Amino acid sequence: MIEIRGLRKKFGAVEAVRDVSFSVADGTVVGLLGPNGAGKTTTLRMLSGLMSPDAGAILVDNADVVADPIGVQAHMGLLPDSRGLYPRLTPLEHIEYFGRLHGLDGPALRARAKVLLTLLGLNDLADRRVSGFSQGERTKVALARALVHQPRNVILDEPTNGLDVMSTRAMRDLIRGLRRDGCCVLFSSHIMQEVSALCDRIVVIAQGKVAADGTPDELRSLTGRENLEDAFVALSGLEAEEVS
Amino acid sequence: MSTLRLMWIVFRKELADGMRDRRSILSVVVVASLSPVLLGGMFTVMASRGKNANEIKLPVAGAEYAPAFIDWLKQQTGVEIVPAPADPEQAVRDRKEDVVLIIEKDFSKDMARAVPAPVKLVSDSTRDSARQTVTRARTLVTTYSSQLAALRLIARGVAPSIALPVRVEDVEVSSAQERLATLLNILPLLLVLAALTGGMQIAIDTTAGERERGSLEPLLLNPVPRVALAAGKWLAASAFGCVSVVFSMLLTVNVMRRVPWHDMGIRFRVSDGDLMSLLALVLPLALLLSAVVMFVSTFARSFKEAQGYIGMLILLPMLPGVISTLYPLSNRPWLAPIPIVGQYALSADVLGGKPPAVAFYVLAGVSVLACALLLLALISRLLKREAIISDASGGIKPPGPGLPWMACRPRRPSSSRSMSAVPVCGPCCLTPRGGSRMDSASRSAISLRPLQMAA
Repeated sequence: MIEIRGLRKKFGAVEAVRDVSFSVADGTVVGLLGPNGAGKTTTLRMLSGLMSPDAGAILVDNADVVADPIGVQAHMGLLPDSRGLYPRLTPLEHIEYFGRLHGLDGPALRARAKVLLTLLGLNDLADRRVSGFSQGERTKVALARALVHQPRNVILDEPTNGLDVMSTRAMRDLIRGLRRDGCCVLFSSHIMQEVSALCDRIVVIAQGKVAADGTPDELRSLTGRENLEDAFVALSGLEAEEVS
Repeated sequence: MSTLRLMWIVFRKELADGMRDRRSILSVVVVASLSPVLLGGMFTVMASRGKNANEIKLPVAGAEYAPAFIDWLKQQTGVEIVPAPADPEQAVRDRKEDVVLIIEKDFSKDMARAVPAPVKLVSDSTRDSARQTVTRARTLVTTYSSQLAALRLIARGVAPSIALPVRVEDVEVSSAQERLATLLNILPLLLVLAALTGGMQIAIDTTAGERERGSLEPLLLNPVPRVALAAGKWLAASAFGCVSVVFSMLLTVNVMRRVPWHDMGIRFRVSDGDLMSLLALVLPLALLLSAVVMFVSTFARSFKEAQGYIGMLILLPMLPGVISTLYPLSNRPWLAPIPIVGQYALSADVLGGKPPAVAFYVLAGVSVLACALLLLALISRLLKREAIISDASGGIKPPGPGLPWMACRPRRPSSSRSMSAVPVCGPCCLTPRGGSRMDSASRSAISLRPLQMAA
C-alpha cells in the first residue's frame, strides 16, 4: 500500500514536483505516465527515500518514508532509472549481495536466487560475469536483485526498456504474478500497450502535477479519445506542442 | 540487522570484486615490486662505485728505477701496477688513462742521498671522473713519502712526531647505522607510496566508479545505513593498501639484504623488530590514505574525474618524505600525532637504531585512525546528499517510440558538469510546453549544489 499526498520538490528555482497525490492499493498495478521531465523519476526517488520532499507525505504500508527510509526500504523493491551493475560479478552474485543486505542468507537466499533466475530466464547466464550482457539482460539482473527480498511494494521505472519480445512478455507475467500475490505495483512506462494491458489504474503526471488519475477506460472517456495514447497526449497538455 | 554485519557484507563484496579487478591487482604488484627493484639497483650501483674508488690500476713508467717503492705499492690493498703507455701525457690527454705515475731515472740515487726524489703524476684536473683515481694515486705517494720520512727521523734519533706539528683526524659523527638510515630514509617513502596506491584503485572504483556505472542508486535503495556502506568500502580499500605495504616491505627487505653493503663500509642491520615497528607505523596510514582517496572520489562523478583529483593528491603524502631526505626528521618523536609527518619522523628513528617509545606509536596510530574515522563520517554524510544520485548515469531517458516530445530533444546543458548558473537550452526549448526543458533544468539545478548536505 503506497500513499502519496501533496508532494512537492524544488531544485533551486525549478519546481520539479508541484503537487502529486495518488495511492496504490495492495493487489493493484498502477501505471505512472508522463513526458520526460514531468517529475516521474523525482517522485519515484522521493518514494524510495533517496530524496526528501519539500512538502507532502509518503506512506508505505502506513510507515512514513521521510521519517524511517530504511524501515520502508526493507519492504520495498525498486528498479530505478539507473540500473548499473558490477561488471565483474555474476547475476547470481548480484542477487546474493542485495539479498544479504536485506538480511537473507544461507539456503533461503540460494533458493530465492534460483527462483528469480528461473523466473527471468537467466539460468544459463547465472555464473557468467555481467560485463558483456545486453541491455535486456542487465535489466533482468537489476530486476532480480530488486525483488530478492520478496517486497510487498514494487516500484519499477520503465521496466521494459530494452527488453525483447519474450523478455517483455516475461516481465508482464511477472508483474501480473506480483499482483496475484497481493503486492502493490507502481510502474512508469512510455509504452501505451504496456500500460493498457497491465494497469488497473493510470496516473498521468505533467509539469509536476497529477493531470489525471483513473482506469484506462475512465481516461479515454474523460478526454473523449478512443486511443489511450491520444488520451495521454491530451491529458499531459502536449497537443499545443504537437501542433507547433 | 546490525550495522557491523552490513558493513561486513559490503566489505566482502568489495573485496571479492576488487580481487577480480586486474587494475587493482596490477597497481599493488607493480608499485610494490618496482620500488624495491629500483632501490636495490640504486644501492648496488652506489656500492660498486665505492668499490671502484678503492681499487686502482696504476700505470707506472720507470718502475725499474724504484723497486722498493713498487714493492710497497703492490702491498697496498686494491692496487695493481701496470706498465705505462709509451707517451703518458698523450695517453692522459686522450683519456686512455686517468693518471700515470712517472719515476725518474735518479729516484734511487736521490733516495740514498736523502734529497727529495722526483716523481711525476700525470693527470687532467678538468676531468671529474678521474678525480677519485688521481686522489688515490696522490695519497699512495704521500703516504709512502711520510712513512719513509718517519723512518729516516727515527734512524737519526728524532721522534717522528716533531715533524708533524698538526695532525688531522677525521671524526665520523654518524654511526654506521645512522649513515645507513640516511640511505634508508627512502624506505618509509616507498611504503607510504605502497599504502596509497594499493588501496587507491578500489577506493575510487567503489565510489566514483560506482556512481559512473549507475550502480550507486540501486545500492542506496537497500535498507542499509550509509555509514555501513562507507565503512565496508573503506575497509576493503584499506585491506588492499595494507597488503600492498606488507608486500612492498617484504620485497624491499629481500632486495636490500642482497645489496653488497660491505663494499660501502656499512652493515645492513635492520632487524625483524625494526621491520615490525615500521609496519606498525605505516599500516594505520593505509587506512587513512584509503579514506582520503575515498573522500575525494565521492565528489567525483566518474573514475577519470576522481583520478584527476587524486593525481594532485598523490604529492601530498610524498612531500614530507622528500623533505625528510633533505632535513632529517629524526629525533623529533613529538611529531608523532601529525599524520604522515609523524610516521616519517618515527620511522627515521627506528631505522637510525633509536626506536621511539611505544607511546609514540600509539599516539601516531590513534591520531591517524581518528582522522580516518572523521573522513568516514564525512563520506557517510556525502552519501546522504541527494546530489549523489542526481548526476549518476541514466541521464536523459531514451524517449518512447513516436511520442510527441521526441521532436524536442534537450540539449544537454554544459552546466551539468561545470558551475555555470544558467541552464543553456536550445531554441527548441522555447516552446511553452517543452517537457524536456524541465529535465535539463532540474538536472543542472542539482549539480549547482554539489556540496550541499541533505538534512
